[in-house]
Amino acid sequence: MKSITFNPRANGLSFWKAGLLLVLLSGVCAMARANTTVPAPTQDHPIILKGAVIYPVAYPPIEGAQILFENGKIAAVGKRIKVPKNAEIIDVSGKRIYPGLISPNSLAGLVEIGAVRATRDFTEVGDINPNARAERAVNPDSEIFPVTRANGVLMVNTVPSAGAKGLIAGTSALMKLDGWTWEQMVVKAPVGLHIKWPVRVSGGASVFTRRAAYSPGTKDEEKKYKKSLRKLEESFANARAYLKGVENASEKPETDVRWEAMIPFLKKEAPVFVHANRLEEIRAAVHWAEEEDVRLVIVGGQDAWRAGDLLREKNVAVIVSPVMALPLRRWEAYDTPYSNPAKLHESGVLFAIANKGNRGDAAHERNLPYQAAMAAAYGLPKEEALKAITINAAKILGVEDRLGSLEAGKDATLIVTDGDPLEIRTHVEMAFIDGRAIDLSSRHTELYEKYQEKYRQLKSE
Amino acid sequence: MTMGALLLFSLISVSGLSGGESAGPELGLRDNTPRVHALIGAKVVTAPGKVIENGIVILRDGLIEAVGSELALPADARVWDLSGKTIYPGFIDSYTELGLPKDLQTPKKKPAPVMFGARPPPNQKKPKPEGGAEHWNPFVSPQRNALKYIKLHPKEVSEMREMGFAAALIAPAKGVFRGQGCVVNLSGKSINNSLLMEKATQHIAFETNPWTSGIYPTSLMGTTALIRQTFYDARWHLDRKTAWKAGQSDERPETNAALDALTLASDGSQTILFEAKDELDYQRTARIVDEFDLDYAFLGNGHEYRKTALLREMGATVVLPLNFPEAPSVENPDRSLEISLEALQHWDAAPANAAVLAKTGIQFSVTTNRLKSPGKTFWKNIRKAVESGLEEEEALAALTTHPAELLDLSGKIGKIASGKIANLVVADGNLFKEEKSKILSVWIDGQRYANKAADAIDPRGTWALDWKGVEGPTEWKISGKPAKLEIEAKGETFSAKLDAKTVLAFPPAALFDLGEGIIQISAVLDDNRWSGTGILPDGKVFSCSGERTAPYSEEEDADMETPKEERQLPEFTASYPAGAFGKTGILEQPDTVLIRNATIWTSGSQGVLQNSDMLIRRGKIVEVGKGLQAPDGAKVIDASGKHVTAGLIDAHSHTAIARGVNEASHAVTVEVRVGDAIDPTDIGLYRELAGGLTTANLLHGSANPMGGQNQVIKLRWGEDAEGLKFQGAMPGVKFALGENVKQSNWGDHFITRYPQTRMGVDQIMRDTFKAAQDYERAWQEYRADPEGAAPRRNLRLEAALEILNKERIVHIHSYRQDEILAFARLAREMDFTVGTFQHILEGYKVADELAAIGAGGSTFSDWWAYKFEVYDAIPYNGALMHENGVLTSFNSDDNDLARRLNTEAAKAVKYGGVSEEDALNFVTFNPAKQLRINQWVGSLEPGKDADFVIWNGHPLSTFSRAEETWIEGRKYFDRQEDLRQQVIVRQERRRLIQKALAARLKKLEKPEEEGAKDNDKPSLSGLKDGFRSIYHNGESLETCSGDEGHHLN
Repeated sequence: MKSITFNPRANGLSFWKAGLLLVLLSGVCAMARANTTVPAPTQDHPIILKGAVIYPVAYPPIEGAQILFENGKIAAVGKRIKVPKNAEIIDVSGKRIYPGLISPNSLAGLVEIGAVRATRDFTEVGDINPNARAERAVNPDSEIFPVTRANGVLMVNTVPSAGAKGLIAGTSALMKLDGWTWEQMVVKAPVGLHIKWPVRVSGGASVFTRRAAYSPGTKDEEKKYKKSLRKLEESFANARAYLKGVENASEKPETDVRWEAMIPFLKKEAPVFVHANRLEEIRAAVHWAEEEDVRLVIVGGQDAWRAGDLLREKNVAVIVSPVMALPLRRWEAYDTPYSNPAKLHESGVLFAIANKGNRGDAAHERNLPYQAAMAAAYGLPKEEALKAITINAAKILGVEDRLGSLEAGKDATLIVTDGDPLEIRTHVEMAFIDGRAIDLSSRHTELYEKYQEKYRQLKSE
Repeated sequence: MTMGALLLFSLISVSGLSGGESAGPELGLRDNTPRVHALIGAKVVTAPGKVIENGIVILRDGLIEAVGSELALPADARVWDLSGKTIYPGFIDSYTELGLPKDLQTPKKKPAPVMFGARPPPNQKKPKPEGGAEHWNPFVSPQRNALKYIKLHPKEVSEMREMGFAAALIAPAKGVFRGQGCVVNLSGKSINNSLLMEKATQHIAFETNPWTSGIYPTSLMGTTALIRQTFYDARWHLDRKTAWKAGQSDERPETNAALDALTLASDGSQTILFEAKDELDYQRTARIVDEFDLDYAFLGNGHEYRKTALLREMGATVVLPLNFPEAPSVENPDRSLEISLEALQHWDAAPANAAVLAKTGIQFSVTTNRLKSPGKTFWKNIRKAVESGLEEEEALAALTTHPAELLDLSGKIGKIASGKIANLVVADGNLFKEEKSKILSVWIDGQRYANKAADAIDPRGTWALDWKGVEGPTEWKISGKPAKLEIEAKGETFSAKLDAKTVLAFPPAALFDLGEGIIQISAVLDDNRWSGTGILPDGKVFSCSGERTAPYSEEEDADMETPKEERQLPEFTASYPAGAFGKTGILEQPDTVLIRNATIWTSGSQGVLQNSDMLIRRGKIVEVGKGLQAPDGAKVIDASGKHVTAGLIDAHSHTAIARGVNEASHAVTVEVRVGDAIDPTDIGLYRELAGGLTTANLLHGSANPMGGQNQVIKLRWGEDAEGLKFQGAMPGVKFALGENVKQSNWGDHFITRYPQTRMGVDQIMRDTFKAAQDYERAWQEYRADPEGAAPRRNLRLEAALEILNKERIVHIHSYRQDEILAFARLAREMDFTVGTFQHILEGYKVADELAAIGAGGSTFSDWWAYKFEVYDAIPYNGALMHENGVLTSFNSDDNDLARRLNTEAAKAVKYGGVSEEDALNFVTFNPAKQLRINQWVGSLEPGKDADFVIWNGHPLSTFSRAEETWIEGRKYFDRQEDLRQQVIVRQERRRLIQKALAARLKKLEKPEEEGAKDNDKPSLSGLKDGFRSIYHNGESLETCSGDEGHHLN
């Protein structure tokens, strides 16, 4: 069997029935198509998925339910819904429907092949880069996106990273993983301003602090730490001065693109994401955010469970990035990172779960649900684990009005699976972004097809 | 002993009497000062435990003539009344780097970790030759003779004498074979007159080059291989020279000063001092000294108390540094999280190190080495060691008789006895117990060297003064410190200072009823007499005299000094490794264990059994099935609702490899052995057990085409390096292809090492195998006709030969199908066995070729895109290989991923629809078979090792946890026990932090105590010298980021 080019309309078949047929025939958990990255057209007719167990996340699962979406938005979810005339009804009995998963801390889009410098676009020169915008460097034709969405991760928050000496990395952008251009892919930009908190004891698990080797806090490091903190404070002071200047009509300052980019964050229109792992850094960041009067999200947060009460009191959310990691310290329990989310949950802290957010994980965003599963294996209730990669991520990224749960009025961005998406053995069988049926083939399925053919040929020889 | 050795041995001689005649002409007047002294009235400690109260020591011409209590004083002797003083034998420092050029000393600063892709810093460039016929490797300089480099600075000599040292071993500290030390009397005279012994010792350290330097060795395993090869070379070289001289061989041997010099050490006639950088170097050294039957001792590191059993078994002697760490800075509770339990424990235990060794019967000497300001800390730490349980006699022996024995100078120094060299120490009290005691003078070669303390006076105490020309207070009480004295008189307190032997005091005139102003008094003190003069504010001169009526008493200052606490010996827990989650003793192995009512995934012919039992006896599986009966006394585990699988096996791991995963220098380094560098303290072992892993294949990295020998281990956490090894496992070797070995991603500075293309990789491998065949032929010819010297043993080619002889299988790091196929063709041509293709991410493209040569595929479940050669990697790889006849496994290559290989296996179900049973075998039976250990492990079948995991759910579920992990019928991990241990760890940390806090607060009260910074800070980090040291936290190696790490692993 060679690759299949398939036009559902031309065949007069229901797109999805055909798709399921193919799944059954080939054993591949995706539509098999030669062209991996043809973005889907705008939804032009209402679609109803029926017969599945729907996991709306916002409320408990509904068995044998239907979901109707049109014009890219969810119109209704429930056991009985009014069927529009021209609706395409797809029977997905025995399946489950979930909101599209959201990876809240990722380099996907800014790197293609980690070791190849030419494909790295995530760290700008210098330490103060608030004006760097992730979305503008996202390559929509990255082979990483089809691979990622094929496992239900339909959105990634693409985050620029600070270099070894960097402080302010730039602004992140929430991208849906389908579109002809980066502009079409943008769900929201900027999502937040990303700051790498200076570390005294270097090391850790996030993209920002992974680079340096563990080392004791020497006097030099202490100096560097203080210098970095001063620089950070200075940047915010400068940006505020600039804002004052801009708002004061009589003496407008000449444009400074750095401080200009920081205005939305100074005005608390969007949060500042501070990447910090250790308790000391987290506390310092919370204190700093209060002083600066900015909205704070902690990213990384390996020690966040140690500061549960503080984070709840100050209303600081956390993106745990990642769960599957080695403990920060030799003496800590082996499951310290695994049980971090469960403890945050007990403390009442709002949190989401992410992969490592480093260049190695850019290509592995598809494994996001297993980060959440590990948290569930170590004490986090399963429904909370699901929230951590759907509605909680949406809340923290500021898109909960559009994404993260299956509710009328929200974007029709969802997945159909044959089981719990947090289980590896589960397959994602369909995906919709804004109601558009997404091609689940990828470089991986293509190569799989190609070489299956090799062995078929060998056997028939 | 061979002729050559005899010849060399005669070069070593103990120098004669120093200070005696010199060969040179007299210039100016002759010095014929009589050199006869009688030291009387002192307490003479002639040797540890031997004391003569009120003894006499008579010195003549630099030697001790007599010692006793009732001796006639020679008429020509200068008599020294040392009543109230104590005389010890002159102390010997067993290891110093005094007077050597900086580059032959241990670097003061550790080099910064080398970043991936970095240009080698200038100091990592190849060292300059030192001259002569050197060894090819700049780290091998056994011919280096310390004597030739010594330039003793008068200041460093007098600093040593201030501490009481009369003699010291001076040794070079650079490289692996570092050279030979000499013993010198610390008279400060020319080396002609102060040398006691040349070439006293040979020095070896497990030193490494930075991995970016390209200079062999860049890893601990490389260093060990170099040491091994060099000893073989030394013996071979000697044989060749002998044969040539005897006319048995026409082949003129090369001139090689290094191998010549090593003859002494290699035939056991020269003691080798091995530097043990950490507690694991002891066992490594044991393996070497056993192989070559060497005479050796250790330069220790302060952690010996953890390895007493081994040291005792070895019968080793140790030179101990007294580098007790300062109290960890635990004031900030957040930051104190970074201080490991192991570091806290070591801080607590370090002062008791010597005491523990003494009690265990391990002989040791001490050294000032490793102390940054020994003058301030050495004696403080000796006394700390004594407070911590070290007997005074043992401490003295460590400074006198033990070093004399170590240096083979017992006949000359170390005791006060007739005929010995007149090296003595005179102190004003018991140096080992009295904090205030001072060393007044040191005698070397019968000459007295006065210390600063000899001239110091202490004006403190109560004085009765008579005044002439003024009416002053008659009683003065002087206290405080010499630099800032305080005087109290008539209820007034005023300050004074000491200027040499003169007290300068400044009482207010009011004290003398003279109104305003300050009076200046200067008084010369002579023991207890005071004679002074003074000037009143108006210029009038007066005098005063008097005597001390009471000595200064401590109690008066009691509120200033912190009360001396009873020092408690640290609680030595028997758990190993130190720190968190160590194990106490050998784990219990119940005679019989019965697991009941479990879902058992046998990975064998029985498949998956529901509600079944497994019977285990003495570590082996007896039976798996339904309704098994437990004999009386059996340990029965009810596993209802749980799943049991074979212990997981990781066919690609770098856990527990110490100081370098890559011998990244040469393209071919198959002589290096991971087994030489096992780190049983790696907490990764325990964490992986907690993920159900029981066996791991520790592989050399992929920095070169033909890397190093692997070591299969069982994760017997708590055992030492040897105890981890999987006995009987098929030996293997790691090779690598593609980007890493071409140095493609190393940065632009790495473009000269052969090979730089896949073409060259293929060729260098082929050439190495051809060389191995030539090597074998040479030996065959020699064995057929053993004339002359044997061929040189070449451990590199011998390892290659083992591969060709199929005694060693190849694990080949590979990605792209072209290189995979090329290697398969090479394997066919040279006829060797490929155990596994590792990574093999394009294995799915050539599965038929892998199957054809019977090679296994050990791959990642779903990694891709981290470098160009893995852009075509797909998660269906495992399934495709499996379906097309390749024995397939999933591995981790990562300390974190190794904690969940079960869910990695689940990805074979997801991608490609492999059955659950077959998928689990990807991490159990298949890797066992790939590593040729399936007769023992990999499945739950009768006769196999009882290595298994009890899971709380389906083993392929992401929601499941390992509850218990067993190896050979011993429970190495138990989640419930772990939760208890977590509590113990927290409590132990609290206890030690409390203790450290008390010590820190004391320190904070005193403004910056001198010497406080001297000692080692407890390390917060596992990364030293660019390598992770032992007790690390699983940091990735030789790279600076986790994802980059995979480039070279």
